[in-house]
Amino acid sequence: MMLHVENLQVYYGAIHALKGVSFHLDKGEVVALIGANGAGKSTVLKTISGLLRPREGSVTFEGQVLEEVPPQDIVRKGVIHVPEGRKIFPRMTVTENLEMGAYIHADRAAINRDMESVFERFPRLKERRNQLGGTLSGGEQQMLAIGRGLMAHPSLLLLDEPSMGLSPLLVEQIFDIIQDINEQGTSILLVEQNAQMALAIADRAYVLETGKIVMQGTGDDLLQDSSVIEAYLGGH
Amino acid sequence: MRSSALDKGLRTGVIFGIVIAIMFLIGFTVTGAGLVGKLFGVSSSYNTPPLTFFVIFMVLMGAWAGITAAARSLTEPDTLKRALTAGASAGAVSGLISAVVGFIFGTLNANAIDPRTYLPMVSPESTKLFLMNQSPLTGSLMLLGVLTVSGAAAAGLSFYLRTHDGVKSGARNITESVRKTIRSEGVARVTNSPYARYGFWLLVAALLIILPRTWGGYWNYVFGTVGIYIILGLGLNIITGWAGQLVIGYVAFFAVGAYTFALLTAPEPHNLTMNFWLALGLGVLAAGISGLLIGLPILNLRGDYLAIVTLGFAEIVRILLKSDLMTEYTAGPRGVRDIAGPTLFGRSFVSDVDFMYLIIIAVLVVTFIAYRLQNSRTGKAWYAINLDETVARATGINAFASKLLALSLSAAMAGLAGVLFASRNQFTGPDDHALMVSINVICLVIVGGIGNIPGVFLGAFALKGLPEILRETENYRLLIFGVLLIVMMRLRPEGFLPAKRPVLEKSAQTSSKEAQP
Ligand SMILES: Nc1ncnc2c1ncn2[C@@H]1O[C@H](COP(=O)(O)OP(=O)(O)OP(=O)(O)O)[C@@H](O)[C@H]1O
Ligand SMILES: [Mg+2]
Repeated sequence: MMLHVENLQVYYGAIHALKGVSFHLDKGEVVALIGANGAGKSTVLKTISGLLRPREGSVTFEGQVLEEVPPQDIVRKGVIHVPEGRKIFPRMTVTENLEMGAYIHADRAAINRDMESVFERFPRLKERRNQLGGTLSGGEQQMLAIGRGLMAHPSLLLLDEPSMGLSPLLVEQIFDIIQDINEQGTSILLVEQNAQMALAIADRAYVLETGKIVMQGTGDDLLQDSSVIEAYLGGH
Repeated sequence: MRSSALDKGLRTGVIFGIVIAIMFLIGFTVTGAGLVGKLFGVSSSYNTPPLTFFVIFMVLMGAWAGITAAARSLTEPDTLKRALTAGASAGAVSGLISAVVGFIFGTLNANAIDPRTYLPMVSPESTKLFLMNQSPLTGSLMLLGVLTVSGAAAAGLSFYLRTHDGVKSGARNITESVRKTIRSEGVARVTNSPYARYGFWLLVAALLIILPRTWGGYWNYVFGTVGIYIILGLGLNIITGWAGQLVIGYVAFFAVGAYTFALLTAPEPHNLTMNFWLALGLGVLAAGISGLLIGLPILNLRGDYLAIVTLGFAEIVRILLKSDLMTEYTAGPRGVRDIAGPTLFGRSFVSDVDFMYLIIIAVLVVTFIAYRLQNSRTGKAWYAINLDETVARATGINAFASKLLALSLSAAMAGLAGVLFASRNQFTGPDDHALMVSINVICLVIVGGIGNIPGVFLGAFALKGLPEILRETENYRLLIFGVLLIVMMRLRPEGFLPAKRPVLEKSAQTSSKEAQP
């Protein structure tokens, strides 16, 4: 087990956002976390990456307990969080944004190689390498955010709604890329509103509802499940 | 229907009339005339300047009103008649308002009523000058005439300049050829050659060595102050300009540096008389540590707590220094006297010139450090935190430690400025450390262009050097500050020299060239 989350209890002041969330992720897997708005999906990711502290419960990554480790050290262990909402550095260029992604690395030559491979994956970014991040289109910003995550050499990538606000064509492209990243050896914990797509590429998935896991199974199982179809896939 | 030219003229005229009236009421007409005199090389600091200069000042105001009113309109064809109507009416209306004001105060003066009880700046001399040394009626009519004529004339002239291609293309040709010469290869070869660069720096070095010797005490004092404020500005720029954390009570660290140094070297109240350089180091260190201690409890909080907490800290420091409670330790409200000047190899060098050299060296050292920091990994981390703290943390930046480092470095630089300040004056008291110092530093950083090192230099010269050069305006410093800030926010919202962010990645650019076959 690469990541093991046990009975997470997270609060924002008085708001009880996670009420005992437990799940796990094996090495090499794509695990999807789906659920309605406000269910607590982003909160789970923020807790794993150390941006939030749980009041109770534990996060274990490759045998090490994470919940006391500060975020900058969690990054160094290879757990990389790509926050939701196209969070990039708006007044840095594309290149500079990618460089910031490699902040924890020192080897110049390796950084340049990584940057070329990000550019290979996202040719659009290469054309716009000297453009300010804030002036990219929404989809390009999302690519940049993912690219920045890759620059850190994640062994576990936490993706928060990578398809948010993208056109259908781009959504497919992004999911292809996610699958490709996974095939090259990075495990992925994927938070998505687009349950259809997420379940299609996920090995396993969990459904989160108001701070609790209410259902789990393989991606295909959940795609067939009538209550999931009802709630998240817009079916009848 | 009224023509829009007349309408524009009337409205502009009212605004300029009110501005001139207010200038008169706060005594700025005398100052303005004095400034004009200064342009002509006549120094008339403390007496009423001659009439000629006042008339020129009014002509300039009228011309400004006329040009403003006669600016090209989007809805009306640009004709000479329109320009003249707008210009003349703007001049006339502003003249009328000025004339009424002048007439009222002239009459009051004639009846021996002194308005100074209510308007302390309206002296009989300034009223007389405003009325061009004439009787109230003649004087105000002349004022009306001067403003009307200059408004119309300037409007006509500006119309002529913008409509006549000869003038326009002539001017364009000149600027074009100048630009071409500057950009030409020959010039580029000279300016890009290493010798040119060495020569340039040699020249700068020579100037820095020679100038303090020729300036004399007063200008050494003025430029010394500018230097101290450059250090303060570079320091504040780290935490506020780069790391994006507003610090309002920056003067607190200045005070810590100044007092640490003062108490260690002065004969009273502790009689430690420590070595200059050791005390300098300790002053800088103490300020840095105070920054660290202030930052520790609050820098992991989001929001503008730092601004408020430092503001409180600065006031507490000042009040403590001032209170009788601490007199035994800090010499109380009277301040610390007989603070040591610098010594080197047993020789003390405390003359203006020597001290100017010390300040220049300090400025150079701090500038060097600032440049190194800006281009460092830490500098990138600060900028990332400034832009988005959450993402910065998600990329592995220790935001808390970075901000703490920024604050300590800022504080240490303020401490250095404080040491130099106390040592140069050989005195420091609580009033040297009022909040106005912080506000000055914030202003100079913003005016210069936040986050930009040359901008700090420019800001310090503009805010600390210019007022001394324009000595007459001393009473209006805050006014000029305000006007400068407003003008700048309108014209250059990012400061006079906006920060060009460092090119972080040279190697990536070369590799992109390699990647294109
Ligand atoms: N900073 C915060 N302060 C207070 N409450 C918060 C904060 N962030 C999130 N919450 C609350 O916690 C709950 C879970 O939020 P979270 O962002 O994890 O939802 P989510 O599942 O990611 O939703 P979405 O799909 O809309 O992104 C919500 O009720 C939200 O209002
Ligand atoms: Mg969310």
